[in-house]
Amino acid sequence: LASRATNIYPLYQLGNPQLRIFRPNWFLTLVRPGKEQPPDTVQFRIPMEMTKYDVKNYLEKIYDVPVGAIRTRIQFGSNKKRNHLHQKVKQPDYKVAYVQLAQGQTFTFPDIFPEKELKHEEGSMEEMQEKFMEDEKQRQRLDPRRGGVTEWFGL
Amino acid sequence: MNINLILGIFILKGWDWVGREKSPLAALSWRSPSSSVAPCRALHTTISRRGLDEFFDLPENWGETTVKSGAPWTAKQLRTKSNEDLHKLWYVLLKEKNLLLTLEQEAKRQRVPMSSPERIRKVERSMIRLETVVNERESALRMLQTGQEKARPGAWRRDKFGHVYWYRFKEYAIPWYMNRRYKRKSFFTPKFVQPHIRLRLEKYLRQRARKTSLERRTQSKLKEKFPHANISAS
Repeated sequence: LASRATNIYPLYQLGNPQLRIFRPNWFLTLVRPGKEQPPDTVQFRIPMEMTKYDVKNYLEKIYDVPVGAIRTRIQFGSNKKRNHLHQKVKQPDYKVAYVQLAQGQTFTFPDIFPEKELKHEEGSMEEMQEKFMEDEKQRQRLDPRRGGVTEWFGL
Repeated sequence: MNINLILGIFILKGWDWVGREKSPLAALSWRSPSSSVAPCRALHTTISRRGLDEFFDLPENWGETTVKSGAPWTAKQLRTKSNEDLHKLWYVLLKEKNLLLTLEQEAKRQRVPMSSPERIRKVERSMIRLETVVNERESALRMLQTGQEKARPGAWRRDKFGHVYWYRFKEYAIPWYMNRRYKRKSFFTPKFVQPHIRLRLEKYLRQRARKTSLERRTQSKLKEKFPHANISAS
């Protein structure tokens, strides 16, 4: 959203009311940690403009998640790769936040892409194709009664 | 400059969309029972406090290639909603977008195609429209109450090259005559820039004339070749 991109916060001087943001424009991405993390640590990718306090308030208020310690770092996106025009291509930089949950809670990143059996609907093209391929493969296989012996040996 | 930002959310905890069968993209015609025309019982929704599980979809949808989702909210639909509803919808869309972004990143990590990636664009569009509707309302209110059209004050100013542009004011703690960096900016055009401005204007007019004459020439050629053809309005 262009209006929020160049956000100018009002100036703060002693005695001013606390700045509140309605409808925050920040999105967190939960990522699977690359390195092994302690069981209570959750890893997020956050926008560069967010601070530790922002993330803490965000998680507590919007997701109702009790947050203990939180540490952030900025990951440099590589500028080394070159495209077909030999120009350097920059991967975007991003900020990573390591959030430790309070009250002894733990979190493990779940397996979101489990292996699923693909069943085609009855009478569809894909089902007929699958059946045909299955039959072809069956013809290629030798007689199981031969016990793995190839056709080269006579009889 | 780290400002302590506390997110102001009101009445969020008391509402959430009913389960996750209805995604936030479907237009909800949800009315409070007290103001409805037809008699109906009060609707009780349990607030889903799933914590970090809200970053992930329902377990049934894990591993699917396509997940069904509704159309994005249109500005027309959003204009019918109250401010509280829009506020709550913003957070619903925000959580949905977070969910989709986590899914996208995990799909990249596992080198697997993400299920129905168009959902992210739909949510983005809904949020943009929501923002425009809220800004419209805010601007109308400001206009009625104070007579100001814009929230941020500004002025038409000239820069060194003779361009006239809308300069938006910035908040400072000190007046402008004490601000050294601001005083180095010059909001006027020196006299020796006038010939350059004239040349630039001539160039612009020449380009515009060339474009119009080109259009006229192409239209006349087309009319010559195809005399009975319908000339487009453009």
